[in-house]
Amino acid sequence: MTLAIAAAAAVLFGAGAYLLLQRSLVRVVTGIALISQCAIVTIIGSSLSQGRAPIDPQEGGPLSDPLPQALALTALVIGMATLALLLALVHRVVVTHGTAERDELRDVDRPGAGGDEAVRHEGDETE
Amino acid sequence: MTALALSLLVPWAVGLLLVVLDGRRRTVGWLGVVTLGATVAVLGVLAADVLRGGTVAFVTGGWPVGVGILLRADALGVTFALSSCFVLLAAACAETLLGVGQRTLPGLLVLLAAGLNGLFLTGDVFNFYVFFEMSMIAAYVLTGYGGGRAQLRAAVIFASVNLLGSFIFLVAVAGTYRVTGTLAMTDVAERIREVPPNAAVAVAVGFFVAFSVKLGLFPFHYWLPTVYADTRPAVAAVLSGAVANIGAYGLLRFGPGVFAEQLRLSATVLIALGAASIIYGGVLAVARHRPAEMLAYSAIGQVGYVLVAVGVGGPVGFAAAVLYSVVNALNKALLFLTSAVRGPLVAGAFVVGALSVAGVPPAVGFVGKLAVFRTAVDARSPTLVVLLVVGSALSLLYLFLIYQREFWAEEDREAVTDAEVRDAAPARGVSRRVPVVVLAVLLLAGGVWPEPLAAVSGAAADVLTGTANGAGP
Repeated sequence: MTLAIAAAAAVLFGAGAYLLLQRSLVRVVTGIALISQCAIVTIIGSSLSQGRAPIDPQEGGPLSDPLPQALALTALVIGMATLALLLALVHRVVVTHGTAERDELRDVDRPGAGGDEAVRHEGDETE
Repeated sequence: MTALALSLLVPWAVGLLLVVLDGRRRTVGWLGVVTLGATVAVLGVLAADVLRGGTVAFVTGGWPVGVGILLRADALGVTFALSSCFVLLAAACAETLLGVGQRTLPGLLVLLAAGLNGLFLTGDVFNFYVFFEMSMIAAYVLTGYGGGRAQLRAAVIFASVNLLGSFIFLVAVAGTYRVTGTLAMTDVAERIREVPPNAAVAVAVGFFVAFSVKLGLFPFHYWLPTVYADTRPAVAAVLSGAVANIGAYGLLRFGPGVFAEQLRLSATVLIALGAASIIYGGVLAVARHRPAEMLAYSAIGQVGYVLVAVGVGGPVGFAAAVLYSVVNALNKALLFLTSAVRGPLVAGAFVVGALSVAGVPPAVGFVGKLAVFRTAVDARSPTLVVLLVVGSALSLLYLFLIYQREFWAEEDREAVTDAEVRDAAPARGVSRRVPVVVLAVLLLAGGVWPEPLAAVSGAAADVLTGTANGAGP
């Protein structure tokens, strides 16, 4: 079971890292979402114990470890919040820059930032 | 105990209120400044308690020890909390005097203070992660402050790279629980000794990567120049003076504090990375043209000193790392804040900051540099001493290049159509220069009378080497 979970986490991280390197910002966000799921799977895998649900424990019988479950729930909530924030940021980028491609962001950059970019979109800076 | 609870509750409660209010109104901005001032005052009381009577700790909600969330204030945590909140206060003051441009700014700064205090004053690894995310979320939104194209791009880069760092941290937390079966820092530190070395090193590397990304150390720095250079000056000051402290604190807390054995094993690697950071940051800063970008590369160089000090270790090394982190936070806050204002007074303040970064005597940076040099001498490594001297010389060079371009060529500036200059609208009112001047005076005062700083960083190093009294419940 530990091996299966480790494999699942590895696949999630690999897929996430691949998407993170893509040009489209939406794919980058998806990649981060996958990596956050990898972290949560790792947390669940960090203490696998077979047993009944650790709520109102009765005498006898094994209980499963409640701590990783609490951690996973917290991490899920935080992951969702950051994902929502990231999507909102990408939305703002699409509204302001008119594109969701990472490379095109560089083209509309402020003059001088990279040293030799031409002065473009002079008036668009304040909106 | 009251001070410890208040240091979290005050910024948290008021921050939630401030986010709802319109921060562009002057009163709301000043309410934020007052809240941060109150937080700094509460932390001052807490620091006095901790330095006099040892570690203050309690479990929230009256839960038994081991079940509830443990809040713990020791000399190390309090020092970092105090310096970070002070930088936030200075940045909030400066931005309020210039006029806040976006409604959420005061609330976010105050919430950032709550998150930072939480992570500096906790004794639990997962709790650390929760507060870490809380402060990072505030920082992601702050990066976009200003709402221009450059700021949005910086925010996307900052958020995606640092989220990756955060999840690597989370995986390392899961690994810690797997190998030790506990998440309380003191218990982890004890049980990690019996863990197979391979597993322990893997977990330690996870933490190291996560904090290095946050700190912007040499191989993990790629996001930093764009972000620091494209954000507004006040936000850059907050990122380099307060948020980067998370990385320095994390390296200290998790390095010597938890993974002491693994740290000793990897000391050479850390020193090499730190030295690479110093030289890389210095050389690239000299090669750049925009002041904000030069300061950003300078930030990469400066954190290298902290890593070298951590790598050398021992009471001298850790004390130097703490001292240098605090001094560096104040330096960077001052230098970034000066780029929003103009005038002879500001030029003077910039010179103080520049001298402080380069480590020239009247400024407090000298004390920091001296401590790091002592560490290098302690390590009996002439190479390291030479590298540190070269790094300092480079920093003096690039800072006076900035000074020359920014403050001597006053007339030429009017011709520059740089968007940042237009955005920042160089302010000339006397009152607007007050935060910068106060920071500069503080840097000078710290240099003239360094005993308190040295005592505090010594006490923080004692916490790490385990010679402090009262290790918590």
